[in-house]
Amino acid sequence: MESNTIIKLKDVNFYYGQSRALTDISMTFGKNKVTALIGPSGCGKSTLLRLLNRMNDLIDGTRVEGEILFEEKNIYAPDVDPVEIRRKIGMVFQKPNPFPKTIYNNIAYGPKLTGVNAGDLDTLVEQSLKQSVLWDEVKDVLNKSAMNLSGGQQQRLCIARALAMKPDVLLMDEPTSALDPISTAKIEELIEELKKDYTIIIVTHNMQQAARISDETAFFYIGNLIEYNKTEKIFTKPEVKQTEDYITGRFG
Amino acid sequence: MQSSKNNSMKWRYLKQHVFFGIVRASALIITLTLGGIIFYIVYNGIGAISWDFITKPPTHSMTQGGIMPAILGTIYLTVGAIAIGLPLGIASAIYLTEYAKQGRVIRFLKVGINCLAGVPSVVFGLFGLGFFVIFLKFGSSILSGSLTLGFLILPTIIGASEEALKSVPQTFREASLSLGVSKWQTTYRIVLPNAMPGILTGSILGIGRAAGETAPIMFTAAAYFTAKLPGSIFDEVMALPYHIYVLATAGTNIEATRPIQFGTVLVLVAVVLGIDLIAIIIRSYMRRNKRW
Repeated sequence: MESNTIIKLKDVNFYYGQSRALTDISMTFGKNKVTALIGPSGCGKSTLLRLLNRMNDLIDGTRVEGEILFEEKNIYAPDVDPVEIRRKIGMVFQKPNPFPKTIYNNIAYGPKLTGVNAGDLDTLVEQSLKQSVLWDEVKDVLNKSAMNLSGGQQQRLCIARALAMKPDVLLMDEPTSALDPISTAKIEELIEELKKDYTIIIVTHNMQQAARISDETAFFYIGNLIEYNKTEKIFTKPEVKQTEDYITGRFG
Repeated sequence: MQSSKNNSMKWRYLKQHVFFGIVRASALIITLTLGGIIFYIVYNGIGAISWDFITKPPTHSMTQGGIMPAILGTIYLTVGAIAIGLPLGIASAIYLTEYAKQGRVIRFLKVGINCLAGVPSVVFGLFGLGFFVIFLKFGSSILSGSLTLGFLILPTIIGASEEALKSVPQTFREASLSLGVSKWQTTYRIVLPNAMPGILTGSILGIGRAAGETAPIMFTAAAYFTAKLPGSIFDEVMALPYHIYVLATAGTNIEATRPIQFGTVLVLVAVVLGIDLIAIIIRSYMRRNKRW
C-alpha cells in the first residue's frame, strides 16, 4: 500500500436487502487530497460515502461484502467499534443539521461526551470556529441558539463541529446543495484551506464544484465505479464514453 | 360553456360552505358539551367548597366535614402512578423505537401494547389485587394502588413517547453518531430531550386517567373511610374517585350528601387540572430553545 493512501476499498459490494447498490468497488483515497464522487442520482456515491464511517449500519437490512481499509485496518472487521471509526472519520451532511443547542454547545458536544480533545473546551471551540471561518461572525453570540444562524452559517458550524473531534478524514455529502451561491463559495474556499490538514471526500452534483475543488474525481454509474482519475484528466480527457457524456451534460 | 363553469364554481363554494359548517358545528358541540359539564359541576359543587372542606377529614359518618384525606390520597396515588408509569413507559418506548430491530416480533409487541390500552380498568384492578395485594403481599396500600395505576397508564405513555421519539429528526441522530458519540449517549443527550415535550403532552392524558380511575384502586388501595393519614406507602388511603363512588352509591345518607358529592367531584377535577398544569409548565420550560 502506498504511504499516501489513507482509505482503500477492496472488492466492495453493498446491498439494501436484496438489491445491490454498489458492485465490486476497488479504489484508494489519497491522504490530504480532496476527492470528489460524482454521478447521477442513485448511482451509489452517497452510499459509498456513508460506508466509509459506517453510517449505513443505522439502516436495517444492509450488508457489506469486501474490505474497507482505513490506515490499513478493515473497518468492517468484527472487532472494530463503529463509534471509534466515526471519531476519526467525520461527516458533514447535505442539509445543515445543527443541534437545537447553543453555538458553543454544538461544538463542545462531541468532545465533551467522547472525552476526545476535551481538555480546554473554550480554546477548542474558538479554534474550530476559526478553522471553519465562522468565528468572526459568531464570537459574540456563542451562547445563542445555533438555530438562529443562516443556512450557510449553520453548515460552517456543522463543519466546525466535525473538526472539533480532530478527525483524519472529513466526509461531505453534497454540503452545498442546500445553500445559496455566496455560502457555497465560502464553503469551497474553506475546503481548499482544510485540505492542508485533512483528507476530504466530497459527494457533489455540481460538476463545476468538483472541477474547482477536487484533486481526484471518481465517476459512478448504477453502482459501478466507471472512471477514477485526476480531476483535470476527468474533465478534459475522460477515457470512458459514459464519463464524457455525463460531464458534458448529455445525460444524468 | 361559461355558465356551466360558473355553476361548477358555485357548486364548489356551496360544498365548501357545507363542510366548513359541519366542522364548525362539531367544534361548537364539543365545546358546549364540555362547558356544560364543567358548569354543572361548578354550579352544584361550589357551595360545598370551603377551607374546612379541603383541610378537614369527614365527620358524622361522612355526611359532614371535609375530604382532605381523599385529596391527599389521590395526589399520592397519582404521583406514585407517574413515578412508576413514566420511567417504565419512556424506557419501553426508547427500546421499541431506537433499539429494537423492526420486524414481526416488535409489531406483535406493539399490537399487544395497544390491546392493553383497551383493557377495562376493572381488569387492571383485579390484576393488582391478585398480583400486588395478595401475591406480593403489599396489601391494600398506596404502593399496590400506584403500581396498578402505573400499569394502567403505561400503554398511553408508551404510545405518546413512541410518537414523540419518532418525531425527532433523524438528522439529529446522524449528526451525533457521526461525531463518534455512542448510541446511548445520542439517545440520552439528543433524542430524549427533544422528545420530552411531546412525551409529556401524551402523558398528561395518562395522568388525568390515573387520578380519575375508580375500579383499579377499589381493590388495591382505597379505603372506605380512614381519618388517619397514611404513614407509609404500605398504608391504605382514601381517594377522591372512590369517595365519590361511595357517597353516591353506598353512603349512609345519599340524598343528604349530594352537595358533598358535587364538591368532591369539583375538587377531583381541580386536582387533575392542577397536576396537568404542573406537567404543562414543565413542558413549556423544556420547549424553550427547541425549534427545528
